[in-house]
Amino acid sequence: MTELASMEFHPQPQAGEARPWAFPAPERGKLDNGLTVLRCHRPGQQVIAVEVLLDTPLDAEPKGLDGIATIMARALSEGTDKHTAEEFAAELERCGATLDAYADHPGIRVSLEVPVSRLPKALGLLADALRAPAFDDAEVERLVRNRLDEIPHELANPSRRAAKELSKELFPAASRMSRPRQGTEDTVAGIDSAGVRAFYERHVRPATSTVVVVGDLTGVDLDALLGDTLGAWTGSPAQPRPVPPVTADDTGRVVIVDRPGAVQTQLLIGRIGPDRHDRVWPAQVLGTYCLGGTLTSRLDKVLREEKGYTYGVRAFGQVMRSAPDGTGAAMLAISGSVDTPNTGPALDDLWKVLRGVAGEGLTDAERDFAVQNLVGVAPLKYETAASVANTLADQVEQHLPDDYQAKLYQQLAATGTVEATAAAVSAFPVDRLVTILVGDAAAIREPVEALGIGEVTVVAAE
Amino acid sequence: MGHTATPEAQSGGLTATEHRLANGLRVVLSEDHLTPVAAVCLWYDVGSRHEVKGRTGLAHLFEHLMFQGSNSVKGTGHFELVQGAGGSPNGTTSFERTNYFETMPAHQLELALWLEADRMGSLLVALDEEGLENQRDVVKNERRQRYDNVPYGTAFEKLTALSYPDGHPYHHTPIGSMADLDAASLEDARAFFRTYYAPNNAVLSIVGDIDPEQTLAWVEKYFGSIPAHDGKPEPRDGSLPDTIGEQLREVVEENVPARAMMAAYRLPTDGTRECDAADLALTVLGGGESSRLYNRLVRRDRTAVAAGFGLLRLAGAPSLGWLDVKTSGDVEVPVIEAAVDEELARFATDGPTAEEMERAQAQLEREWLDRLGTVAGRADELCRYAVLFGDPQLAFTAVQRVLAVTAEEVQEVAKARLRPDNRAVLVYEPVADEADDAEAPATDENEESAQ
Repeated sequence: MTELASMEFHPQPQAGEARPWAFPAPERGKLDNGLTVLRCHRPGQQVIAVEVLLDTPLDAEPKGLDGIATIMARALSEGTDKHTAEEFAAELERCGATLDAYADHPGIRVSLEVPVSRLPKALGLLADALRAPAFDDAEVERLVRNRLDEIPHELANPSRRAAKELSKELFPAASRMSRPRQGTEDTVAGIDSAGVRAFYERHVRPATSTVVVVGDLTGVDLDALLGDTLGAWTGSPAQPRPVPPVTADDTGRVVIVDRPGAVQTQLLIGRIGPDRHDRVWPAQVLGTYCLGGTLTSRLDKVLREEKGYTYGVRAFGQVMRSAPDGTGAAMLAISGSVDTPNTGPALDDLWKVLRGVAGEGLTDAERDFAVQNLVGVAPLKYETAASVANTLADQVEQHLPDDYQAKLYQQLAATGTVEATAAAVSAFPVDRLVTILVGDAAAIREPVEALGIGEVTVVAAE
Repeated sequence: MGHTATPEAQSGGLTATEHRLANGLRVVLSEDHLTPVAAVCLWYDVGSRHEVKGRTGLAHLFEHLMFQGSNSVKGTGHFELVQGAGGSPNGTTSFERTNYFETMPAHQLELALWLEADRMGSLLVALDEEGLENQRDVVKNERRQRYDNVPYGTAFEKLTALSYPDGHPYHHTPIGSMADLDAASLEDARAFFRTYYAPNNAVLSIVGDIDPEQTLAWVEKYFGSIPAHDGKPEPRDGSLPDTIGEQLREVVEENVPARAMMAAYRLPTDGTRECDAADLALTVLGGGESSRLYNRLVRRDRTAVAAGFGLLRLAGAPSLGWLDVKTSGDVEVPVIEAAVDEELARFATDGPTAEEMERAQAQLEREWLDRLGTVAGRADELCRYAVLFGDPQLAFTAVQRVLAVTAEEVQEVAKARLRPDNRAVLVYEPVADEADDAEAPATDENEESAQ
């Protein structure tokens, strides 16, 4: 029972001539205090993005004080030698600015976004925060309590709960990566302003930091502006810290985090693999995209568009930490949620898809589609100053050359189907995946055990 | 070809031209040659407010069906063709509209127009039971993932139902109920398409690195032969008295990590100066980390882990001022409520300080710069003002209107609206397990997307 349409149909149009676009090349420099500066003029982008990288990796946190980097990052914007915490927040917002800071394995990232008309004022505030944070006792104590209040909310969130369990399973207990980035109730409770100040004094200095400035810089004397603001930041020279090797146990197994009555099961299936320093990275990007980059990729083609088990499942590779010598690692994972009754069948299909890629390989059409999408979307992905600044900062943080992203697009285009298949198969080998399921153990345990994808253990959600 | 060109308006260097095809399709074009990209955005004037009892969620389920193929596009071909061309597609459904958009590399613009026209004119050729059954399951899983399986996940739905009386077109949210999603039939979907998916019920905006003449010729070529269709029923009247006149309240006992107080205040409709004044009032009171409520509850009293206000702008019904406070430790809700009421009363009495006005206006100005800073954001705003207010040019002057609001007007709207007898309150009291439920408040829950 089809319906006729009364419109006039035309053949699918052909593409016009592509207009040239390249990932922008930043200009690199250094201030007298040793602060590295990357700048990039993006015409039309009136909101300027400023990213600061501090060399404060989580493995530098003192033993038993996991989360101190997070508290320090937050405390940077809670008062300076010129402003109280409330005044500082008010001054920033008076600029129409946002300032965010978070601590991850490679270090702290401080992100400022501000309309160009108020850039000088906002850069002054950013410089104050980095140069002379107050770390007032009461403010740090408040941040600690606030952080302790946040933890139960995170544990109640299925995807965050799954991420916490995967880290614990994959990495050795002695590794900082096995524990929550922002600390646990036990470790956060032991943090105070003296500890925060000591961490700051030991690890934060301009000589090991980088600032990235991106946006429409027409008429902005950035050198003078930086000299007057971040140039006033002082600190001793220091050697960059060595990066500890990353190891993980990816023996195939399943951990169910029990949430009785849950209507869905949150899946997180992962292991670690090569980072951007490895030659396989472009092929791994393509292979991972073909597997689970979008709703027409292999996983969603079955799990969503054929079976309706999920709103969407994605495969991704996310760099955990990189070292100059190439010993870093990326988290390779598949995540999504499926309804409780279909958890077993969904995992069965997921493994079938993985075996299918290993058995028959990806097709040329899939590889071409992935290249066309990943390379083609670059101009839209990098339309805003913030997205460019973020990628430039990632490159610095991962010890990559400034033209890495620009060259990656050429490498993607030059990578063939065979390489993409090989990379996908070695990224997601069916017998070396750690599967975390946050869901109703009573309902899903048996069907999951029947799949034979690894030993199944059940842990409590709390 | 029946275009009625209007003079270019100018604001912040941005301009747009307006046109209309003979079949009633309104077209808005805006050039920007800085980056070789083009955004295509199509707003259909249909949202969850047009749904009828027993068929909640149909507009959103239908939006998913728009990605299941049409006459010239097989299966998920819409996504494949757009993404394969280096573009990024999606669609979303809210109370008041359904939008479809794709940002493309500029040289692939014609493909996007061909695709949008194909489904506008011929969706029913491809729509079948199998596609409906599949997307019904996908949408039910979307509902579970975003609402039913996260703490506080159904707060938005509950507060909306409290805020708009039973039978009001905004009483239910776009995601709909599981029972109604189960009940939706292929014939419902067909009737929905025939009723609402017509060129004269849509606005198409195209923004970016485009040649306007060529673009208009393509629009005419692909969309021009799609017949207009009249007979769309007017949505039920969404108007309500300015204030509720009493405090509505619901206590939810669920397995949530902390007590919470959420509230929705009835505010002026979008498109009015009073709505902009309300936006500023909510920003001073609960936007960012220098707001009155944040300073009071999170910094000074330390009774809350997070506290903020958001504005859900609505054109066909009163807007909602959305308060969300999660308590700290063992703090009880009445402590929070007393502090909130005190701050709101003080604000109504004193009004904002000059410095607070400056901060709030600077924040809203940056938000506008962000929204208009991408071709996709600009295309969406042009459609929004064209569909809801009849004039796309208003998108470019929105920030000026916010900056023109005075402190007195902000105080006035606060005094009239931010009162305990003009709100619906949702109180969360945690209980130990039993079954489900849980998180994700915030203001962007008023729309659902295809991916």
